[in-house]
Amino acid sequence: MADPKAIEVTKARFVYPSGHVVALDDVDLTIEHGEIVGIIGQNGSGKTTLTKLFNGLLKPTSGSVVVNGIDTAGKSVQEMAAHVGYVFQNPNHQLFARTVEAELQFGPRNIGVSEEEIAERVARAVEFFGLKDVLEEHPYRVSFPIRKLVGIASIVTMQPSILILDEPSTGQDHQTTHIINDLMRRLREDGTTVVCVSHDMPLLADVVERVVVMKNTQIIADASPREVFADEPLMARTNLQAPQITQIAMQTVVPLGGPVALTPRELADDIEQRAGAKKTARKPVAAQKGAAS
Amino acid sequence: MTMTAALPISMIPGDSVIHRINPIAKLIWVVGYIVLAFATQNILILGVMAVVAFLVGIIAGVVKPLLKAMIILIPIGSSLLALQIIAPAVERPWTQVGSIGPLALYGDGLYYGLVLLGRIVASLIIALVVVMTTHPSDLFTSLAKLKMPYTLNFMLAMTLQLIPVFQREFGIIMSAQKSRGMKGTGFSAVLPSFVPVFVGAIERVQQLSISLESRGFGSNGFKTSYRQVKVRARDWIIGGIGVIVIAGLSAYSIYRGLWSLSAEIQFSPEFVTGLFLVSALAFFGTIAVTIAYSFKKS
Repeated sequence: MADPKAIEVTKARFVYPSGHVVALDDVDLTIEHGEIVGIIGQNGSGKTTLTKLFNGLLKPTSGSVVVNGIDTAGKSVQEMAAHVGYVFQNPNHQLFARTVEAELQFGPRNIGVSEEEIAERVARAVEFFGLKDVLEEHPYRVSFPIRKLVGIASIVTMQPSILILDEPSTGQDHQTTHIINDLMRRLREDGTTVVCVSHDMPLLADVVERVVVMKNTQIIADASPREVFADEPLMARTNLQAPQITQIAMQTVVPLGGPVALTPRELADDIEQRAGAKKTARKPVAAQKGAAS
Repeated sequence: MTMTAALPISMIPGDSVIHRINPIAKLIWVVGYIVLAFATQNILILGVMAVVAFLVGIIAGVVKPLLKAMIILIPIGSSLLALQIIAPAVERPWTQVGSIGPLALYGDGLYYGLVLLGRIVASLIIALVVVMTTHPSDLFTSLAKLKMPYTLNFMLAMTLQLIPVFQREFGIIMSAQKSRGMKGTGFSAVLPSFVPVFVGAIERVQQLSISLESRGFGSNGFKTSYRQVKVRARDWIIGGIGVIVIAGLSAYSIYRGLWSLSAEIQFSPEFVTGLFLVSALAFFGTIAVTIAYSFKKS
């Protein structure tokens, strides 16, 4: 097959077998290799169900899901695990080994990575996630934010070409959120495809390049974070909130022709530029201020 | 699917006649079933009890989950019958009806095996149907009306409510392990998942007790319940019939010396031999399949 897409969902529909609950209806989505995609939407809109189709945990009731050129229909989750890493929302559901180190080795060993390679991957993950001090600890004895990092690291060591993160920043402090943020950037440099389900708009605004918006079992928007967050009617319709900094930008600099800022830096730059322009226009005042400070 | 593969021992929402019966009336029947099952060795009574319980299950619309939960009876039932036929748990003399190699097969053994199985089947079906058709909170409220100590009542209701929670949790954990490429399907696959399930269970219970205390659990005074349970004339009748039928049959059965029909019912030698072979095969087959399954791929 000539260059298969990372993920290709065609006319997927999913109905939970226990009842008559339709979780996904007529969903089409294509994700290219190396893309960083955020999925947002209210609870119950179908975000998690959609991502569970990617690694075969759920199979579409109708339609197809093709990952790295492989149709998930005939494949077990274990077979898909080498392609798609799935980080669950609650790390407690994922961890069971006696030490953090064993936890990190479990995944790659399952997919047949050599012992030397495993040691190397674990060492790299320990370095990146800052887990050196807890390596010999029991995963349940470390604090929740660290446990969450262990959960993510245990999947990252499998080096899947596609990584799915379900609410990676829930319950995280500033420091661990920062590590997750860094991780997504680094994965992008490595060419890993990342799909991140999250309610953390600032995190998404900061790192993803594409946002998929879901509402009532369907994808209703799919664009860059700048376009999505600037679309006020869309935000209102889906009961979502753009990052505060974007909201401020929308009410201040955007009507003046400024950018839809996604980070405080962007807004600050624009304001500085405007102030600078004013400075040159009204030199005496600017000079006075400069002298005062 | 993993999540639905677990044993469905929880309430199945519905609005059948059985769902609407007062929990106490249902409880009377469950307790009564168990009393009668052990008060008699009459295989006909036990058979009728099992059939009636199953019919109640059909009326309640819970046949599918009921049958699923009853799979557990295959190893239990087959081992029970096979062992009783070769070594009856009743007083000698035993009547030998045939033999396979060195094993002597006894007709009374088969009768007694069927009695034991009948007791288990009848009690299990009625208990499952009642659990599947009764909201735990309703049971809680009803028992409270009967002046059952609050703490004891609460423990019972909590246990029933936690079962589906743990089942769901177990499903999620199995998915998480599979997503990490865990191979195997039998015990070797399930084993690692027990750690998170138990740790989760203990953490949950600990958190629950703290949150209960912070919401005033254990304070004195009259407790009210969100769900109201009505006792209608119908419920009195159903409960009353239960008491009368069961007390009557139990008393008569005990009066008749447990009313065993082992002398009246004589099994043909072919029937005993055949049933022995089938149940022995089913028993060892179940064990073999389980072992083969757990070593497969692992």
